[in-house]
Amino acid sequence: MKDSCSSISKLLEKYFDRETTADEGILVQDHLQQCAACQAQLKSMEELRATLRAPVDEAVQKETFAWVWQKIEREIQTREKPSWRESVRAWFGLSFPFRRRVWIPAVAAALLIIAIGSPLLFKETPSKTELSIVEYVQSDTNNVMLFESEREDVAIIWLFERTEGESST
Amino acid sequence: MGKRFHFVIVVFVLLLAPLFVSTALGQVQTRLRIIEASNVGSSIDPALRDVHDQLGSLFNFTSYRLLRDESLSLTPNRPSEINAHQGVSLEITLTKQQKNKAEYQIRILRQGSEILNTKVRLSPGRTVLIGGPKHGQGSIILAISARS
Repeated sequence: MKDSCSSISKLLEKYFDRETTADEGILVQDHLQQCAACQAQLKSMEELRATLRAPVDEAVQKETFAWVWQKIEREIQTREKPSWRESVRAWFGLSFPFRRRVWIPAVAAALLIIAIGSPLLFKETPSKTELSIVEYVQSDTNNVMLFESEREDVAIIWLFERTEGESST
Repeated sequence: MGKRFHFVIVVFVLLLAPLFVSTALGQVQTRLRIIEASNVGSSIDPALRDVHDQLGSLFNFTSYRLLRDESLSLTPNRPSEINAHQGVSLEITLTKQQKNKAEYQIRILRQGSEILNTKVRLSPGRTVLIGGPKHGQGSIILAISARS
């Protein structure tokens, strides 16, 4: 039994640390069922661990790590905020399509499309007051008929010869 | 990409150049049609369908003949004189050019004497018809339209 205890002793530490193989574990468990000394040794190891662990767990539970967060926040604030130009440049520099300066023709094409398309988009519709085409008509020699049609977008100015006896006005 | 892209840009600019030049100079494209309307015959020039439709309800001309069809490039405040027909001439001046509208001063002269002076505003697609001067058995009509 003594020999057996001395051979198991090394395995017992491994067993305690859960580092034994399955076969070693079975061997230790079989031995522990028969050996009160080894049972006592295992128990003392467990008590020692509990004794050491208790204050550490207690300290961890009490700690809120506030100082760690304060340090991180201080670090973030002290880091200089990049200007918008630097941000844009960094973005253009990192973005693959822009690295090849594709954006120059792309922007040129977009501006061209806007320049051509905007007159169509913002085409003005004449108001009722703008429908009159003829501002004034003046004739010292003829009578004038003026006809404006809103529907057909046309104005007609017609000159009539004056008959004898009509005075010029 | 370089050479091909530059070629496309150059072609594009060349195509649009006349538009930009015309706009920069403030020129306005104006169509002038000189028409003879009469009751001799019943032929209506296909190019004058719009004029016939517009005048049909007011006058009973049976024949519309296109004597001339001209495209004028008018520059602001520079009068253009056109000899319309047999002693009748037209002096047209672009007096104002706005975003979507052109203002014209039009003078009709017969043997050098003014018989009509008018100012009209035309937006693209609109027409002013000036008619009345006698021509043979009919009348001369001037159709002035702003180009779109």
